Amino acid sequence: MVLVLVEHAGGVATDPSLQSLTLARSLAGREPVQALLIGGKAPAVAATLGSHGVSVAHVANHAGLETFAPDAWASTLDDLVVRLPAGAVVAPGTERGNEVMARLAARTGLPLAVNCIAVTAGPPVTLTRLRWGGSLFEEARLVSPRPLLTVAPHTVAVEAASTPNEVEVKPFTPALDGADLVVRVAEHIGASGGGISLTEAKVVVSGGRGVGSKEGFAIIEELAGLLGAAVGCSRAVTSAGWRPHTDQVGQTGTKIAPDIYIACGISGATQHMAGCKGAKKILAINADGEAPIMLSADYAVIGDLKEIVPAISAEIRKRQ
Amino acid sequence: MIPVSLIALAAALLVSGALFGRRAVLLYRLIRMGQPVARFDDLPSRVRAEAVVVVGQSKLLQVLVPGLMHAAIFWGFMVLLPTILIAMIGAVDPHATLPWLGAQGWYALMVDLFAILVLAGVIAAFVIRKVQRPGRFAGSHLGEADLILALIAAIVITLFLWHASQIALGLNDYPAGWAPISGLLAGALHQGWTPVLERTAVWTHVLIILAFLVYLPYSKHLHIFLAAVNVFFGRTRARGRLEPIEFEKEGMAEEDVRFGTATVKDMTWKQVVDTMSCTECGRCQDVCPAYATGKALSPKLLIMSLRDQVLAEGPKVLAARDRGETYKPPPLVPNAVTDDVVWDCVTCGACQRECPVGIEHIDHIVDLRRNLVMVESRFPAEAAPMLRDVDRASNPWGKPQADRTRWADGLGLHVLQPGEEPPDILFWVGCAPAYDERARQGAISTAKLMKSAGVDFAILGPRESCTGDPARRMGDEYTFQRLAKENVGTLNSSRVKRIVTTCPHCFNTLSNEYPDFGGTYEVVHHTTFLAELMREGRIKPLAGDKAITYHDSCYLARHNDVIAEPRELVAAAGRPVEMARSGKRTFCCGAGGARMWMEENRGRPINQERVREAAATGAQTLAVACPFCTVMLDDGVRETGAKIQVVDLATLLSQAVERRKAWEARSTTEQV
Amino acid sequence: MVLTGDGKALETRHLGFTISPHEECGVEEAVRLVEANGGESVVLTLGPPEAAEQLRDAMAIGIDRAIHLQTDGSSAEWDPEATANAILDAVRIDESAAGPFDLVLFGNESADSGGFQVGARVAHTLGRPLVTGVKRMTLDGASVRCEQEVEGGRDVYVVPLPSVLTVKEGLNLPRYPSVPGRMRAARKPVTISTPSRPASRLELLRLVVPEGQGKRAEVLGNGPAAAPAVVETLQKLGVL
Repeated sequence: MVLVLVEHAGGVATDPSLQSLTLARSLAGREPVQALLIGGKAPAVAATLGSHGVSVAHVANHAGLETFAPDAWASTLDDLVVRLPAGAVVAPGTERGNEVMARLAARTGLPLAVNCIAVTAGPPVTLTRLRWGGSLFEEARLVSPRPLLTVAPHTVAVEAASTPNEVEVKPFTPALDGADLVVRVAEHIGASGGGISLTEAKVVVSGGRGVGSKEGFAIIEELAGLLGAAVGCSRAVTSAGWRPHTDQVGQTGTKIAPDIYIACGISGATQHMAGCKGAKKILAINADGEAPIMLSADYAVIGDLKEIVPAISAEIRKRQ
Repeated sequence: MIPVSLIALAAALLVSGALFGRRAVLLYRLIRMGQPVARFDDLPSRVRAEAVVVVGQSKLLQVLVPGLMHAAIFWGFMVLLPTILIAMIGAVDPHATLPWLGAQGWYALMVDLFAILVLAGVIAAFVIRKVQRPGRFAGSHLGEADLILALIAAIVITLFLWHASQIALGLNDYPAGWAPISGLLAGALHQGWTPVLERTAVWTHVLIILAFLVYLPYSKHLHIFLAAVNVFFGRTRARGRLEPIEFEKEGMAEEDVRFGTATVKDMTWKQVVDTMSCTECGRCQDVCPAYATGKALSPKLLIMSLRDQVLAEGPKVLAARDRGETYKPPPLVPNAVTDDVVWDCVTCGACQRECPVGIEHIDHIVDLRRNLVMVESRFPAEAAPMLRDVDRASNPWGKPQADRTRWADGLGLHVLQPGEEPPDILFWVGCAPAYDERARQGAISTAKLMKSAGVDFAILGPRESCTGDPARRMGDEYTFQRLAKENVGTLNSSRVKRIVTTCPHCFNTLSNEYPDFGGTYEVVHHTTFLAELMREGRIKPLAGDKAITYHDSCYLARHNDVIAEPRELVAAAGRPVEMARSGKRTFCCGAGGARMWMEENRGRPINQERVREAAATGAQTLAVACPFCTVMLDDGVRETGAKIQVVDLATLLSQAVERRKAWEARSTTEQV
Repeated sequence: MVLTGDGKALETRHLGFTISPHEECGVEEAVRLVEANGGESVVLTLGPPEAAEQLRDAMAIGIDRAIHLQTDGSSAEWDPEATANAILDAVRIDESAAGPFDLVLFGNESADSGGFQVGARVAHTLGRPLVTGVKRMTLDGASVRCEQEVEGGRDVYVVPLPSVLTVKEGLNLPRYPSVPGRMRAARKPVTISTPSRPASRLELLRLVVPEGQGKRAEVLGNGPAAAPAVVETLQKLGVL
């Protein structure tokens, strides 16, 4: 039986969690899949998971789980895994998902494969996972009595179960000790200022070295404003001090998955593409028709972005 | 019995000599305090430089009228030098004079004529300074200059008065007819006053000279001694070569390695002499592209600030040393020289080309940069990615080495493999054509022309690393040397003898700077090579009628004297039109000194300035011979909307070859 | 992405190596902490002999000494568990000789294999609290205050020392190493050991360059004249 850690926000399961459920079902085969949800509107969310093949949704409640405490989550997961017992554990490869699973792997002394995109049941389990932020695939064999996996976000298409079931929601209270609560969120600092969040934006207009200067970003911001988009940039731009690190899209910056990613003057280095590969469509604006980004982009305009970007903005205004 | 006058003269000589001597010793010690630099080679060229630049006033005459003005004063004084001795002898005894010379009529004539020449020069100088008021004097100490000119005039006037009164009193040993002006003046003198005038004039003359002597080492007039010295020790060849740093020397402690210039203590003795030779003439300032476009840098003010620091802090260093202690002067940047000034420089060399006293401004700037980059890591943030990329990716674009051959896709070029027989020519491509779409135009045309001319050549492909020029010009000598040694290793093991390159920066570094690291090759710029092929008849062009104006690259024309050959190509391709600032007077495109990777935060962009100048010639084509000039000037055309097209000379030549083929084809069909 | 003949590694012949950005920030932070509070900083890596260059780079910025767990550089890989165990052994040996580390810093995930778990395993075995994805840290007496970026802002964790943190790029702006620093680094001590590689439980079978890299973009046009085509495409995609 495969146990899936399901994250949720605003009363619904997150997309990466649903993607994880899909992958978990391919691992479970005919066996049932069970889910663990923690905190907030968990019971309501739990009830919706039937269409994704979940037979039992365990909902954990504990005072210590009110604010995020990664060791407490790992302990809760461990608790459940041992009790059921679970044959394998799958979680979404989000920041929190990876963190919780890494702690679970450490406390159970088991190997963990992070950012998987495909898995075949064993034993031993064979899987394909991402390296270099997705520019390279690793095919590996996981030799473990209880495979632990996380699923790379936005790489597996969500599929509803062929036969939806009634979900049995089982609340429980995990046994947590002081040690599990040492690492917990003490306070939350809200994001300063307005502006559209890079991770939430449906459209992102991004500038690279080709923009040329800090002031050069004015045309990027203009186009973003007209599209209701967030502004992103490549690492070269933050290294040069033209934009803050919070704008950086890439392997070591923010990983985003907008509907449209418009890359201006970005060559398409591996580390940058790792941050925007999740985009549904990519439009590249670049003077070099042979730039690496052309191999990942859906659409391209060849030429000088300093002329093209304002022209697009002007065209949008004309049609409004 | 010893005459009073002799005692008086001796006293005056002693006092002035002591005062002058004490100051001269300090200045000498300040120079000796400087770090070592090797400038004792190539003596014949140095002597030649003295003859041409100092005696011949060649650099001063580059700006004609002020040059003539100065030459008048200078040559005048060369001739008048013996009169100082004659005056001193005459001050002691009005009847005595220098044996033989004092009696020569021809010498008296020369003195008269050259003294007038000096006066004319002084008057011209005053007219330039007071009436014309050229901008190059902004920031100079004008009061000091006025005083010096006044003293020179006074020396000459008192000389005339003395000669005139001597002639009036019949004391002259030379025939009076040979001194027409003094003779004329003699006639105008009032009889009664003449003896008094004679004594007064000669003593005033001598005392002014001695006072001037004392004043000299405290003023910019010091240049009359040091300019000749500075010119003698200037670079005689490989002007584009920077002095390498020895990072690891036998028996040298790490603390003693000199990473460029942080304080006055780090300056070399040549640099100290540079600062003391400056006359504040401002010719460097006049031609500096940074200054011309409103940046903080003025080469003149930079040297003056450095001089002030040497004179203010240097003596403290020496005094401490005398006491057996060490004094650490304050850092030059940002106390005396701001960061902006250091980074504004494009290393174009226009300042050095103009400087009549042989100051080498670029050395000062690069040494200041070396300390800022290598020790303090204090440099414009936007250049950090470039430095990191040059170090780790071996090219300033940070792109994969494996992509170095992409520009040549479809051209059928041969990539030289290790161990292979070397071809006649190694085509050193450079990073710009490899990684920048616009910059590769010239390389593609050059490769095609060489192929069709049947030249046996190859490229190194991924084994080519950046020559290190941008790192070196930024001051990161450490990274530069690592790359240089790597490239020299690759080139030496490939056994190539002749290298052709399209990039003047690669050209400069490969030919002038790599010999310091064991790499000596015959390096030819692509324009020179193509001109050679043209002369041999292996490339046959037909000139069009479009007006073409050629932009000389600084690193080709000024640093390396490649001026004529590109023009052969221009003439072969179209109708040449010259800009005013061409050849050695060329105006930089703005990319040099690693500024290609820095932003212009102030004033007007240098590249736009140059594009405006090119467009003003009325030419439709702006020919270039450098991948960086190509990008900068093309940007400039787009930014200004100028109606001119930037094209590499090789491409223009290519077009000319096609034009001839088309014409020949037409002629043949016509014949048929 | 070019693979070696046996498909088990990246072809690195013409590539330059570098420290991962997350770890680079960790190195910089360590130097700053020691500059501000005194003490000693140590850099450790598990890698082939060529990795020594990255250790020297770290020491050039100011790290005091290095530990190099040298692997033989063959294409046989160290999985996260094996890596963590090797690091644990080295840390234990060093702590018994030189005293405990107040802080052990890891990069959040390595740039290449991205395992995410080495820091967690080391922290757990050492019995020390772990905070991940740290973008800002401040020492506060016997504890450290860490900020982690999340959706809509930052979460703050306060944990007692000694602790283990994994850091992210953006924590600081690493300084450019000075040349005197690099020269001194050449003489700083490096302790070398050659751990034996245990059997992998996450065993690499092969590497594959994903297909997507053969895709070509549809060119909508050249220059500003393409603007109408772009806007039409954006409308078609439902953006406008």
